[in-house]
Formats: sequence, C-alpha cells, structure tokens
Amino acid sequence: MIAFQDLEVRYGDVVALKNLSLDLEDGIIGLLGPNGSGKSTLLKTLLGLLTPAKGVGQVLGVGLGSPDAARLRARIGYMPEYDALIEDVSAFEQVAFWGELSGLPADAARDRAHEVLYFVGLDESRYRHVSGYSTGMRQRVKLAQALVHSPELVFMDEPTNGLDPEGRKRMLDLVLKVRAELGTGVILASHLLEDVERCADQLVILDKGELKAAGSMAGLRKLLAKRFELRFLDLLSLEQEARLPELGRVLDNRHGLYDLELHHPDPVEPFRWAQKIGAVLVQLTPRHDRLDEVLIRALHGDIATTKGGN
Amino acid sequence: MPIYAPSLPPRPVLDQGLPPALVIARFDIRRVLSQRMGRFFGFMFVVSLLIQLTMLYVKYLLNTNAALSGIKDFANQVLTQGPEFHASILTMSGWLTSLLWFQVALVGGGLVARDSLYRIRPLMYAHPVRPIDYLAAKGLFAAGLPFVILLPFVFLPWGISLLIAGLSGPVSLWAPLYLLPAALIIALIMGAVTLGASSLAASPRAGFGWVLGISLGSSAIGGLLSGLLHQPIWMAISPQALVGAWPDLLCRVADPKLNWLPTVIGTFAHLVLWTFVAARRTRPSEAVL
Repeated sequence: MIAFQDLEVRYGDVVALKNLSLDLEDGIIGLLGPNGSGKSTLLKTLLGLLTPAKGVGQVLGVGLGSPDAARLRARIGYMPEYDALIEDVSAFEQVAFWGELSGLPADAARDRAHEVLYFVGLDESRYRHVSGYSTGMRQRVKLAQALVHSPELVFMDEPTNGLDPEGRKRMLDLVLKVRAELGTGVILASHLLEDVERCADQLVILDKGELKAAGSMAGLRKLLAKRFELRFLDLLSLEQEARLPELGRVLDNRHGLYDLELHHPDPVEPFRWAQKIGAVLVQLTPRHDRLDEVLIRALHGDIATTKGGN
Repeated sequence: MPIYAPSLPPRPVLDQGLPPALVIARFDIRRVLSQRMGRFFGFMFVVSLLIQLTMLYVKYLLNTNAALSGIKDFANQVLTQGPEFHASILTMSGWLTSLLWFQVALVGGGLVARDSLYRIRPLMYAHPVRPIDYLAAKGLFAAGLPFVILLPFVFLPWGISLLIAGLSGPVSLWAPLYLLPAALIIALIMGAVTLGASSLAASPRAGFGWVLGISLGSSAIGGLLSGLLHQPIWMAISPQALVGAWPDLLCRVADPKLNWLPTVIGTFAHLVLWTFVAARRTRPSEAVL
C-alpha cells in the first residue's frame, strides 16, 4: 500500500524526515510520535503536497513527487486533526462539496453525501448548520468528508480529539467499521496510545523525523515478549550479579527484583543459568508491555526497527 | 424519508465532475447568495440602475419634448454630456464604483481569509486541488462578482436607449464596445485587490478592513503625493482612481484625470502585485496540515 526508501524531506535547511524506509501493508496503521516528530510532514509527503529531497517511494502504486499526485489525492481521504469545517453550511452541503472536489459529478456527490452521513450516524441532523454541532458530530462530519468519494486509503489525524469516552468509543468503532465494511486502508495518527492499540494492526513510531520503530503490532509485542521479572531465593552476590548480562540485558533492579530482556525467549534458560551460578530462581514473570511502554522505549532507542515484519 | 443501506454502496466513477476551480467558485457564490448581505447589495444595485435609467429617460425627454425646452440648457449644464455621460454610466460620478468597492470588501474580504481562519485550504489541498485551481476559483469569484454586477449597467441603458430613441438616443450604438472592456478591467482591479487583501487577512472582518484600507489608504497617499508634487500621475497608485480612470479613457473623455500611461502601468502593477501576494499566501506550505 505504502512503501518508501531513504526518504528525506526538508524545509529549507531543516531536515523534517531523515532516511525513512518503510513498507506498509494494507490495514490499519497506527502512526505515533510526539509533537514535531514529523507525522504531519509524512502525511503531507504521502498526499503529494511535499516533494522529497531524497529517496523513492510510492503510495497506492503512484510514485512520490510524481505529476500524478493530484490524481492520487482523489484516491485518498483525509480527516484533519483541526476542525476544518465550514460553519455556515449544513453537513450535507459541505460533504457534497468535498465529494465534488474529489471528482464526483454534482448529483452523484449529493447522493453520496446522504449515504456517507448516514454511514457515520448523522441522520436527520445532516441538514443543520455545522456551527450547532457537538464535538462528536463535528468529528463525524470530518470523517464523512474523508469517505465521501470512497477512497482506497484514509488518513485520520487524531480522530478522537476532544471526545468524551462514549464519543471516543463510537469513533473508534467507526474506524474499525471503515476497515471491516469498506475495506479501506487507514493511517491513524494519534497520541492516544490506547486508540492505536485498539484499532491498529501495524505501528509506526516517529521521533524528530526519524523512524524509531515500525512493524506489526503482533511483531512488536513478540519483540517485547523477551522481557521478564526475576527474583531469587537469596539476594545475589556482587559476583553473581555481575554475571547477569550472560542471561540478558538488565533494565532495572528493584531490591532483588530484576527486570531483564533475555537474550533468548526460552523460559527454561534462566533456571539453567541460576543453577550454574548456584542461585535458586523463585519467580519468573513475563512482562506484558503496554503500548505506552513500547512508545517510551522506542523513543529512547530501546527497540530496533522491524521493517514491516513480524 | 429515504432509507439507506447500512454500509456504503460501491464507489461512483470519479473524474466526471466539474473542474475544481468551478466547484469552489460555485460553492462560494451559493454561500453569498444565501446571506442577507447579498440581498442588501442586490437592492442597492437595482436602485442605482433605476436611477441610471431615469436619468437616461430624462435626457431623452429633454431632447425630444418641446415643452421642456425651457429647462434644456440648464439641464445640459447639470447632466453630463457626450463621452463624460458614457463614462458615467459605469461610475455614476463615483457612487457606483464606491458601492462596488464596499461590496467587494464586505463579500470578498472573507473570500480567502475565511478559509485561513477555519483552515479549509489545507483540506482542499488534500483533495485533487492544485494551488492554481484554488487561486483561479477565488479570482473568478472576486473579479466575476463586480463584472456581473456591472453588466446590466453596460447593457440596460444602451438597450433602452436604442428601444426608445433608436440610433439617435442618448447612448451611442457603440457604447458597449467601450464600456464592456472598462467593466472588465474594473472587475479585474477590484478582484485582484480583494484577492490579495483577503489572503493577507486572518479573518473575514480583517479582510474587509484590508480591502478598504488598501483602496482608501492608497487613494489618500496618491492624493497627497499628487497634491504636493503637482503631478496627477501619482493618483495611479490608487486602485480607486484607476477604476475611475478606465471608463474615462476608453470613452475618450476630453480631459481625463489620469492619462493612458500611468493608468496602464498602475493597473498592471496592481494586478501583478496582488495576484503575487495571493499566490504566495495560499501555497500548500502555508497551509499547514
């Protein structure tokens, strides 16, 4: 769906994206990263609004920076983070307008606007001016405008921004519905890790324009499955402690409770090692990292890039 | 109430709609027409047109009705004659162009500024819309609106003059040949200034201020410089003066306020400057996603 190699994007002398290489398959892709990490620049580049200074790539089979970028945008939907709504116009009129801008004839755009607003759950309220809408309704209008031309790929930038828990659940259900019912590829940029965790099946983490981690969610979790907490019957001596790196990388030591990333995921190995150094292992607990820990570790460079793989 | 399927039907064929520039321009026109502002200006322009036609009929009566011969000399001194009369069809001694300036400031000031305020433009660029499409759409609206308003002023007095008095009527048979290009140039100047000013503004209200500020401010500076330096060519820096100068020049008024050279240079400079400003201010890089 999206692939690029050694992608570099500059704003004058400032390098916004550095040597990004990715191969993303069709599905829901979570795009994570703090402010200024390059998420928006990446989206702009994928939309063909920015020309890369270096590198090659393609989106839906169209080369980045090619003259066909405008036509490519007809195959992509974009739901922005900010409001971007025309306040003095009804949801129906503006969704039909965006449909026409994507290349639909006027009549087809109006029919489609009705259908897509119904799809996102804005039934009769679609005839009201957007200025009177709640935050949840506004988010759904934005999603409707991104879907009106049935794109092959949708970029959703913080779709749950400002929503209450109920509205957030409804929006995430819609994200999953878009994928399940329409088969549309989704790039979900969010800082809410739980949202990404719930929806995404692939994850890309960016920081300061660099790729920190990428791959399938299952693959990233597998990578973290080598993390265990170990406790021994007696506190380890200094000599025994010095040999811990033979077993794995020591991430933390809290009064004899060792947080280790094992060299091998085989859980028998720590028992063998303990026997070898004359210690008794009494606790071996696998650590199921949450996604926020994945993100924090990725940003600190503790996770290697797993290009598109498992 | 229509009943829709729970999911979306297959996608209709794309690439069969209107060009993006026309879609955007049409959407802007619909928005203006749905506002009360449009009705107010509509009323004002209709009244102006009726005044224009009344004056035309009075002229016709003065020339044909013997009973009015007593006041003919006085009336001819008060009412403009010949080329001045033809030029005044488009300006109404400044009333019509002032009303037009006020209208383009109020309606057109928000043309680009509203998109900046609500961040509509970046979303447009995320669709198959190029910056040139956006600029063309806004330019079409900004220049098209005054041009369409001026069209009845070009053709109605001419048509009625032909209807009531034939070739000897107060309006020359060839008047549209001069008035139509003048209306087009007036519309282009107003459109360019509106477009540039609106792109500089951060809100429609600020856009209104920018358009009026540019037209009135440059007139004040031009007036000041031409007065101080005793050279009327300085008025050419004012788009308001240029708008008034073109009907005079094209209708061959004997003693125009501005001559051809400063008018052509001033017009060209304004068109290039404001289009350049608008193009710079509406680039995708200005439209942060």
